[in-house]
Amino acid sequence: MNASLARTGWIARVTFLEAIRQRFFAFLIVLSAAMVVSSVSLRFMDFGHSELKFVVDFAFGGMFLFGSVLALVMTAQLFFAEIDNRTALTLLAKPLSRTEFLLGKFLGAWAVLGIFVGVLVCLLGVILWGRAQELAVLAAESGRVAPEFSLTGLTSFALLQWFRLGVVAAMVLMVSAIARTFLFTVIVGSMMIVAGQLQWLAQEALLKPTNQGLLTKSLLWVASRVIPNLQMFNIGDTLVLDPSAISGEAVLSATGAGALYLFAFLFLASLGFQRREI
Amino acid sequence: MRPWGSWLAALLLLLGAGVYSETAWKGVRQAVPEIGRKDLEPTLGQGVLLGILGGMRTVVADATWIRSYVLWERRDRAGCEAMMRTACALDPRTRFFWENTGYTIGYDFAHWEIRRRGGYLKVSPEIQNSIFQRYAKMGLEVFEQGVEHTGGNAGILISAGQLAEIKLKDNLLAAQYYLRATQVKNVPWFAYWMCARARWEAGEQVGAYRWYRAQWVGVLSREADGSPDDLERLRFMETELKVPTMQRIPKQSWES
Repeated sequence: MNASLARTGWIARVTFLEAIRQRFFAFLIVLSAAMVVSSVSLRFMDFGHSELKFVVDFAFGGMFLFGSVLALVMTAQLFFAEIDNRTALTLLAKPLSRTEFLLGKFLGAWAVLGIFVGVLVCLLGVILWGRAQELAVLAAESGRVAPEFSLTGLTSFALLQWFRLGVVAAMVLMVSAIARTFLFTVIVGSMMIVAGQLQWLAQEALLKPTNQGLLTKSLLWVASRVIPNLQMFNIGDTLVLDPSAISGEAVLSATGAGALYLFAFLFLASLGFQRREI
Repeated sequence: MRPWGSWLAALLLLLGAGVYSETAWKGVRQAVPEIGRKDLEPTLGQGVLLGILGGMRTVVADATWIRSYVLWERRDRAGCEAMMRTACALDPRTRFFWENTGYTIGYDFAHWEIRRRGGYLKVSPEIQNSIFQRYAKMGLEVFEQGVEHTGGNAGILISAGQLAEIKLKDNLLAAQYYLRATQVKNVPWFAYWMCARARWEAGEQVGAYRWYRAQWVGVLSREADGSPDDLERLRFMETELKVPTMQRIPKQSWES
């Protein structure tokens, strides 16, 4: 067991180092950071929201968009680089199981995604804190209530985003395990992300009492269970600006659901990869 | 384990995750603003998809609102309405979008329609009135939706009352909106007077006075300044209704 964990950890370490040195990662993190920083200067474009809400939404939007792109492209690229360069053959000739290889790849990619989320959330935290201080002074002068934000909420959001990106990476690995080309994986993976973001529509339709046929209901039932509900992790502005509106258990259960999906997709990826010709 | 057994276990795990995710979704659902799918359908594919997908809903709503201004300038009624409703649907908790969509539909669209039909000289006053009424009712529907989505915003309720008063000439309906505004938190001080005035003008002078007086005694007189403007209006009502001196609000120490 320990040896297996050590082998998985070794693959994860190599994957992490390989991914963190990629220009693609550097490009996306710089782009996202620029987006987070520019949110303060773009606030004049806002209508009727509190300033912090605009900043938070803009930054979370950037994290969502570029984080999804990173999870999708980086995971697929890291996997197919090993297949195309034939290094996978060399590695798997050693006492390393395919499951350990896949799990290592996932953990390495997930760690990079953790760095991505962590850096951006820290940057956003600094920006929010600075702006909240300025707004507090202005509010004191005009006799208004100063806007506040929750650091705990921001941390919870970072955790949720990390799990969301982990689910995306696991889904991409599942597709990669059976797909032949990188392009196919990226296309199917992006479609799965879109489906995941819109999954809640199926869930809502299923929960509402309507006169749908048995076939429609069955399809909705399967769709709302097989496709992960990625919208569940997009509760950042509530967590950061109005943390009392959501319970800690709800956040925990969303994280738990993310963890379950992660296991399920990795399990499926491992099964698919067992019979794959390399 | 046989190969198909592993696949079955994996699928069961996936289904289990799905079932658990449904429970988790019910917990976090309240924190995700409702998206009005029907309102978004006409504008899908115009950058709105990103907002629906989860990120930057505020930003996309703002951009959509700017686009609606361009269409407002062009007097494009259908396009402007679609864009404004899209902004409301993308960010339904913001008062600004609901209030201004209601204003535009309730006040501006009727004028555009009359001009489109040939102008104020060509369209008969009866038809003009029916056009004003039709759009005012549409505007009120938008305000009602706004009240629902913002959790009962006093500003939207007052805007609805004004629309009912100005365009529908229905003071009783306006009074109902103002009354609702006085019952929510963060109500502006003038909402009480607006409610009393609308009832007064609707012919319910005695009822308006009694209600306004009760509000002044119970709420407004407890303000730091004692709400002198409201008391002045109450004095006017007492004079108009010829309320006997002994039954009037006792003279305040600070009253001139």
